[in-house]
Amino acid sequence: MEHETDTVVACDTCGLVQEIGPVPEGSVALCARCDFQLFHRRPNSRVRTIAFSLAALILYIPSNYYPVVTAEYHGQHSETTVYQGIKALFTHGQYLIGCLVFCTSLLSPALKIIALLFIPLTLDWPRWRKARTWTYRVVRFIDPWNMLEVFLLAIVVSMAEMGQIATVHPGPGVFSFAAVVTLTLLATLSFDPRLLWDSSKGKAQHE
Amino acid sequence: MNKAYEDRKGREGLPRAKIQKNRFAWMFWLAPVAAVGLCGWFIYRDLIAGGPVITIFFQDADGLEVKNTIVKYRGAQVGEVTSLELTKDHQLVKVTARLTGSAATLARQGSTFWIVRPEVKVGSISGLGTIVSGVYIGVQPGSGTSTNVFTGAEKEPLAEEPGALHIVLHSPDLSSLQELSPIFYRGIQVGEVLYYQLSSDAHEVVIHARIQKDYSPLVRAETKFWNAGGIDFRLGLFKGVQISAESPKTVLSGGVEFATPPESQNPATNGANFVLYEKPEDKWKSWTSPIQLQLPKKADQSNGPPSNASSELNLK
Repeated sequence: MEHETDTVVACDTCGLVQEIGPVPEGSVALCARCDFQLFHRRPNSRVRTIAFSLAALILYIPSNYYPVVTAEYHGQHSETTVYQGIKALFTHGQYLIGCLVFCTSLLSPALKIIALLFIPLTLDWPRWRKARTWTYRVVRFIDPWNMLEVFLLAIVVSMAEMGQIATVHPGPGVFSFAAVVTLTLLATLSFDPRLLWDSSKGKAQHE
Repeated sequence: MNKAYEDRKGREGLPRAKIQKNRFAWMFWLAPVAAVGLCGWFIYRDLIAGGPVITIFFQDADGLEVKNTIVKYRGAQVGEVTSLELTKDHQLVKVTARLTGSAATLARQGSTFWIVRPEVKVGSISGLGTIVSGVYIGVQPGSGTSTNVFTGAEKEPLAEEPGALHIVLHSPDLSSLQELSPIFYRGIQVGEVLYYQLSSDAHEVVIHARIQKDYSPLVRAETKFWNAGGIDFRLGLFKGVQISAESPKTVLSGGVEFATPPESQNPATNGANFVLYEKPEDKWKSWTSPIQLQLPKKADQSNGPPSNASSELNLK
């Protein structure tokens, strides 16, 4: 892509096709009609994706180490991490729900973080293009499943509270978890899929 | 609508994008920085502010539960049990507990840990609250250098009493004495039995006891000790049947009484040895020796009965 000379782009917001001149460092182009940010490729797409994925990776550790739910049950204090919850589901014979929670709460965030680190880090290697495209497809596939654990937790908490069985509070793990979900979401948003084929032309058009 | 964009034509007759300074392009770096900060705070809370992790070996950890059992000192929570496991030789239970930051200095040599359970025995009932709340681990701080490995005590150690006089009594048999059995002087408790053991050649019982600091001058080298426990049952030809007991408590838990002959001068030293007689000789009970004591003044109680406190009580 001709970085220095003019290019024709369509505004993501209002759809106006316009010319975009050379954008100096530290500046952004704005759409001539709607004043919204205009770009040829998402700005800093690669670095941003790495940054958000790294942040998610860091918080993935406390989200699994700390309890997501703390319950007071007849004076007994109990804390449950995601892993303990899955183990409990399996020992109680709830294999289907156990698998579902495992996939949505442990597997899918981990896969997504790895994928979102893998894609921008290998952009300079044209041979990995096919693997990158596949990875991106997987990310797009597991994306909607990531939100499921939030609903699961909401159901667990409401069941326990409504039944007056126990007092249930969210633990520190759940906040880390919410942060992981948000950060992976931001990472996917800031990644420009056009980078996938940009690099294959050997020009590595990414900022 | 703003139609100004149509004026700014580019080369191919298309509108041209505006260029503007962007000062917030670096903001996304806040995400990993915040993540590191959050993790750092978690680590700080758990490792640095959380106090040390200590290991206690117990013979029997019945009732202990991970995360539910707490460590208490003076009634305040100072830690919680984080793991329970059997040692490799299956002889002991390894209990790991994390102390709170403020209680970190409890992890030192000489500190004693024991499990508080409900207990009902002759003369005392303790730990009733643990029936409902579950057992907890009690701690009595030591004064040595800091350490993280402890051997759990069977039961609560006796509270240290600074300045108390420690004495050793020798008796042919233990009779009804037990730990914390009272030691009386003229019916007033002035000390207690600490522990007892068989002598090394097994021909007598060695009883370790202590006398409270304020009453320690009562014990002299010539002092006679006798067993005041149980019921004294005497059948006399002219007196008929005589039954006497020191106090209802000593009937159950045993007790020791002593008297000091008037002419005795040498105060007893710590660890002094005495014979514990089975019965007092009649003249011992009639000994009245004035001994100067430094007794603390009783605190005035505004709505209590008028106290007849005197700074010096001359025992006559």
